[in-house]
Amino acid sequence: MRTVFRYTLSRFRGQILGWGIAILLLGLMLMWFYPSIAEQQENLEQLLEIYPPELSAFFGDLSAMATPEGFLSVEYFSYMPLILGIFAVLMGSGLLVSDEENGTLDLVLAHPVSRTALFFGRLLAFVVATEAILAISWLGLVLGTVWTPLAPGWGEMALPFPSLLAMLLLFGALALLLSMLLPSRRLAAMTAGLVLVGSFFITGLAHISEGLETVAKFSPLNYYQSGEAMNGLNLQWFWGLVAFAGLFALLAWWRFLRRDIRVGGEGGWQWPSLPLPFRRRTEAEREA
Amino acid sequence: MSEQIAITTYGLIKFYGNVQALRGIDLEVRRGEIFGFLGPNGAGKTTTIRCLLDLIHPNGGTVRVLGIDPQADPVAVRARTGYLPGELSLDPNMAVEGALRYFNALRGNKVDWGFVRQLAERLDLDLKPPIKNLSHGNKQKVAVVQALMHRPELLLLDEPTLGLDPLMQQEVLRLLTEAQADGATVFFSSHIMSEVEAVAERVAIIRLGEIVEVAETKALINRALHRARVRFKQPVDISPLANVPGVTLLSEDDGTSVLLQVEGEIDGLIKALAAFPVSDFETERPSLEEIFLAYYEVDRKEAK
Repeated sequence: MRTVFRYTLSRFRGQILGWGIAILLLGLMLMWFYPSIAEQQENLEQLLEIYPPELSAFFGDLSAMATPEGFLSVEYFSYMPLILGIFAVLMGSGLLVSDEENGTLDLVLAHPVSRTALFFGRLLAFVVATEAILAISWLGLVLGTVWTPLAPGWGEMALPFPSLLAMLLLFGALALLLSMLLPSRRLAAMTAGLVLVGSFFITGLAHISEGLETVAKFSPLNYYQSGEAMNGLNLQWFWGLVAFAGLFALLAWWRFLRRDIRVGGEGGWQWPSLPLPFRRRTEAEREA
Repeated sequence: MSEQIAITTYGLIKFYGNVQALRGIDLEVRRGEIFGFLGPNGAGKTTTIRCLLDLIHPNGGTVRVLGIDPQADPVAVRARTGYLPGELSLDPNMAVEGALRYFNALRGNKVDWGFVRQLAERLDLDLKPPIKNLSHGNKQKVAVVQALMHRPELLLLDEPTLGLDPLMQQEVLRLLTEAQADGATVFFSSHIMSEVEAVAERVAIIRLGEIVEVAETKALINRALHRARVRFKQPVDISPLANVPGVTLLSEDDGTSVLLQVEGEIDGLIKALAAFPVSDFETERPSLEEIFLAYYEVDRKEAK
């Protein structure tokens, strides 16, 4: 398992650096902008008054931008699950299936490595890679305090990251599970991505539509704290998200143990043929 | 007895959806032998090999590899086995040495690296370049090295010489016979009949997911039809030849030459010819390829 973990993590180096540095620069830029925005507070408040309330629904209380915490919450943490969610979905869906689809998993599993060791070695590498990206991202905010003396403390700025981590693990594990169930990695990533975007909209719209409040309870992003975590991390929500991520991962593992390793079209499966009137019949069906 | 058997399958069945890929494969490969596995594309060769390593789960039947059930303890089977996949794919971003070191690490770093260098040298394989810069043949050499480098007890090779030039094909066959001399069992599938004929002591022919023949390679060839052309010093009455068991007269030329077909051992014909004034005698022994094609012809006729 250690070898699988090390090898997988080394393959993630590019992703860690790419995503990490990009988010680090974003954090630095926002912190650099904040003093000038704070100076224009009155103008900003006037501007915010004419903004539609739907924006607040998605990005949090815009009037809170007057404080460094509120500014970070609106401009940084509110949409981070969407941005890094793409990373989590792509990594989760491809954790095993991308190697299966390109044929390399066949040879790896012909070595004395159990499926369990392979699965958890790679899953652990995904968790560590995600944590590394978030650590680099946090470093960007910390470095940004050079320009923003009134910024929250390092520890306070770190608090939303566990909430974000739990969310990313949840979507990564969901994508992994879907990759074990659906015919292709692309389909798994697309489905998990739809759940992510759908969750973002449902959670946001539930703030302005009471009718959606019940539905929003089933939306994972409803339990993402965003910048509010700087005032105290909701451990119940955090562990709840982690528990669901763990459940999805266990189901994916259970499925991985029982399925065939596909190679080059062999053993792959397709959607069952439905007797739809618009479906083109196969040659065999026409002959029959 | 079981200690002398490397691979046993009994009633091995595998479905892919509604398609039955294996229809009850019964196979026994002895320890220390080189066993050829022949069959056309889609016959079930790769599926059988992948069942032996638990890469796919059979739907029925029993499998034992080196006395172990691969489904119960796949890691134990793989630790003692070297595998070369038919559809080879390697991480393109790794260097050759990096890929081999990774495979070595997966085996607990037990490989003698001097032996790896020796194998690479014999196959004219450079360890430095990245996999993505290699030709198909060179990638195949990497696969051969990784299958052999830990000196496994059992080699499961799916088309081991695919994409290699004739010289390298010969070198790989030499490596296999050397592995056998060191005590390894070699089970390999191939489309190249001449190489199976050259190294395999026994062969199995698989057709439509069923084993249709398992035999000693030489016996299989000897058992098949021969053609014999006999020329005589003077015209003779050839009717006694046509009465030899297994001999059929194909053509005759005024009693001075005759073309015969012989089924099975040719010994009876030779003895019968002792009574004739023979000036020339030629036989055409069928290659394993012709024998294989004969089985395949049956398949095609059935399909029609």
